[in-house]
Amino acid sequence: MAATATTYYAQLTGWERIKEFFNAKFINILALSLFLLLAVFLLFPIFAVLVKSFQSPEGFTLAHYKNFFTHAYFFQSLYNTLLLGLINTIICVSVGFCFAYMTTRGPMALRKPLKIIAMIPLIAPPYLFALSLIILFGRVGLITQTFGVNWEIYGFDGVVIAQTLAFIPLAFLMLENNIKSLNPNLEESAYDMGATEGTIIRTITLPLLSPGLLKAALLVFVMTIAEFGNAAVLGGRVPFLAPDTYTMIVGEADFSMGSVLSVMLIMPCIVIFIAHNYLLKGKKFTTIEGKPIASEPRKMSPFVKVPFIAITFLFGFTIFICFAVVIMAAFVNILGVRNEFVMRHIMDFRSNMAIWNSIKVSFIAALIGGIIGTLLAYVIVRGKFVGRNLIEMISLSGFALPGTVIGVGYLIAFASPPMKLTGGIMILALNCVFRFLAVGVEAGITKLHQINIEIEEASWDMGATFFTTFRRIVLPIMFPAFIAGFIYTFMTAMVSLSAVVFLVSPGYELAAVTIFDAAAYGKIGLASATTLKMVTVVVLCMIILNLLTKFTNLDIERKGGAA
Amino acid sequence: MGTNEQPTLILKDIHKSFGKNKVLNGISIEVNRGELVTFVGPSGCGKTTLLRIIGGFTEHDSGEVILDGRSIGHLPPNLRDTRICFQNYALFPHLTVGENLAYGLKIKKWDKKKIQERVDELLTLVQLEGFKDRMIDKMSGGQQQRVAFARALAYSPKVLLLDEPISNLDANLRILMRDEIRRLQTELYITTVFVTHDQFEAMAISDKIVVLSDGYIQQVGSPIEIYDHPVNEFIASFVGYVNFLDAKIDSIKKETSAAVVSTEYGKLELDIEQAEFVSGDDVLLVIRPETIQIAPSNGMVRQNVIQGTLKRYIYTGALAKCHVMLGDREIIVDIHDPRDHVPLRENDKVEVTISRNVHVLKRQGSGPADT
Repeated sequence: MAATATTYYAQLTGWERIKEFFNAKFINILALSLFLLLAVFLLFPIFAVLVKSFQSPEGFTLAHYKNFFTHAYFFQSLYNTLLLGLINTIICVSVGFCFAYMTTRGPMALRKPLKIIAMIPLIAPPYLFALSLIILFGRVGLITQTFGVNWEIYGFDGVVIAQTLAFIPLAFLMLENNIKSLNPNLEESAYDMGATEGTIIRTITLPLLSPGLLKAALLVFVMTIAEFGNAAVLGGRVPFLAPDTYTMIVGEADFSMGSVLSVMLIMPCIVIFIAHNYLLKGKKFTTIEGKPIASEPRKMSPFVKVPFIAITFLFGFTIFICFAVVIMAAFVNILGVRNEFVMRHIMDFRSNMAIWNSIKVSFIAALIGGIIGTLLAYVIVRGKFVGRNLIEMISLSGFALPGTVIGVGYLIAFASPPMKLTGGIMILALNCVFRFLAVGVEAGITKLHQINIEIEEASWDMGATFFTTFRRIVLPIMFPAFIAGFIYTFMTAMVSLSAVVFLVSPGYELAAVTIFDAAAYGKIGLASATTLKMVTVVVLCMIILNLLTKFTNLDIERKGGAA
Repeated sequence: MGTNEQPTLILKDIHKSFGKNKVLNGISIEVNRGELVTFVGPSGCGKTTLLRIIGGFTEHDSGEVILDGRSIGHLPPNLRDTRICFQNYALFPHLTVGENLAYGLKIKKWDKKKIQERVDELLTLVQLEGFKDRMIDKMSGGQQQRVAFARALAYSPKVLLLDEPISNLDANLRILMRDEIRRLQTELYITTVFVTHDQFEAMAISDKIVVLSDGYIQQVGSPIEIYDHPVNEFIASFVGYVNFLDAKIDSIKKETSAAVVSTEYGKLELDIEQAEFVSGDDVLLVIRPETIQIAPSNGMVRQNVIQGTLKRYIYTGALAKCHVMLGDREIIVDIHDPRDHVPLRENDKVEVTISRNVHVLKRQGSGPADT
């Protein structure tokens, strides 16, 4: 074998040898390049924040941390953030479970409407709810004025409510997925043995869902403590870590303390990431495969039905109202003061420019993100090198990293040559690329797992080089995953605020930042109108996604049928 | 079995559709006490739906489910004295074997000591002593099957419902478990409804077989009745292999049931015991491969002997399958214990002898489904 290989290489000219080398090692070269990209644009900024938090002009110092722990204000900020995360997690997971249970086990007629209402917040930025609460309960809010309710919405309560509404879909989606994969025979067996529905939920459904519940809880926790918009807009004088970081960096230009706050923000995420991997290790309830039985609708017991319907309807109605008032406020001159129909907020030039900028940035991010995500998925699944798991872990972790920390990290890491990126459009796009990689990578991995490697091997066998195989076989197969990554990155980049708020430069406003500024200064009409336009773009995007998946699915099925 | 006793389970004219798709079209079945009744049929015939209706998991559109004289069709599963054992066992993966067995008893609020006694008893019954504290995923498929069976028996149900309980096991274990289930079922004298798509399993285990197809009952009968006296072509070819031969009855004597039929291979003398046939009827002969005699052809014309050519000879040890061409029609003949048989080679001229005791069906008759 070795002898023939040597003679084979000996016959090749220099150029051919290089080509051959690339063919043989292409996947490793690709993996290395991707790893470098992840290192530069994901790990390095985080590392920069960490370094900054220990840095003084004289060198290493713990002074900033000492500063943090000796100031009651910062401690309060940390406490509030964790408490907010805890309360949000409990409510979101409980309500999310109610929704998920109703849409999978509830009456047929309610399943679809409840599912739609539980997913609606996904199309909007989380801070839409801050805006809605101001419209309803602000100083000149609709409910404040109509009913004379004088409820201080600026503060801890307000943030909790806004965050809860914003993150119900996250919990719902994860739990629904989990319940759907539960074998309905398990619950039926318990039912058969005489258990009532309440007992079944307590003794079977919830224990079986516990890995899913835990996962959902951890994710909601991480996302809510990192979310910047609601706390910044509604927090008032109550300190939270994310907006405090913003104040430190943008307001006082104190990068050291900003970095310390960022580290504080990222610590729970790391703890949770480790805990999650540790706790869920091997804790998956698998069942023997049988014929799949769709869960048949069964009559719900009133003891379960009544409270579940009450909860889902209450939250569903609230979500609906929140959206309705934002749409309305977009067309009102000055809400509560001059309630007349106007188009000036919708037509506002700065707002339109910001939307246009956001579309541009998101498009660039989506394009780069889609490509990198697809390639990453490929090297993760097909590569045979050490560190594959590490690459997977890093590329998926961006999802759980607080945007605020990424924002601060980019600001520190890319402020000076050789990698000066601040002030341009690329820095806005790149942070989105690496934060939102996870979905594209996951979609790619799933796609590749569905496809037998033998298809690629068949191509090699027929004499194609690695590169030809990649281009002619792998890329077409992975196209749907690319689209998924593209659209997801586009949608999230459109609404994302927490990182870009640090990175925008004057003259290059983004829609998210415009909304944030407008809401913070009480320009409700402008904030609502911009939100409405943003949501419209996102919805259009989703419609395109739907059409595309329909199209590509059909395409794939046809190919599968022919094979 | 008490002959005057009322059946334990009665299904009366059960109808069920899922949307426009009619799954069950008027099913009526009686299951006597201590009996094991099998629902068998191709996939999509409605057998599992029927079982789920008895268990209360699927609501039927019309008809009655009567258990011990009491109509239970409106009751949810937790209020019925039926116990189901699902194909995938549906064992609770977060509980141990013992906790799985105790689940239903805890629901019934038995006291702890009594539950433990019962659990031990059940474990002994299915020969799983010492596995009480195991988690489910640490058990093999066969062991899981036993746990599932024991769990269904825990609170002695009036009717046990088994939904393809052994179809996830490998072939040898399946036969072992099948006989084990049958043994326990007779020993405990527990009324059982067993669903399977495997005809041979149904044959081996049942007191009574209900063959379903397209939501209709095709035939109800003992394994012998189903195999030897199928009521239509579907049943005949559903259980085991069968050769069909078109024939016309030339004459039939009622007293001796001796009949002469003519086929494309000449006249055959048969004993047709079914009273409904008269001379001139077009019929279908149901000829099982094991009832045909095969020998090298010696060219002599005799009664009920047809000349042919051996096309394929498949030796499987206990059995040799012969594919014989009779003209342009291929029939299958089984030779039991082929080592003792006259050696046969492919392409030999052979002759086959048709037994006098052949089951006969009315030709083109669409069976009892229309009645």
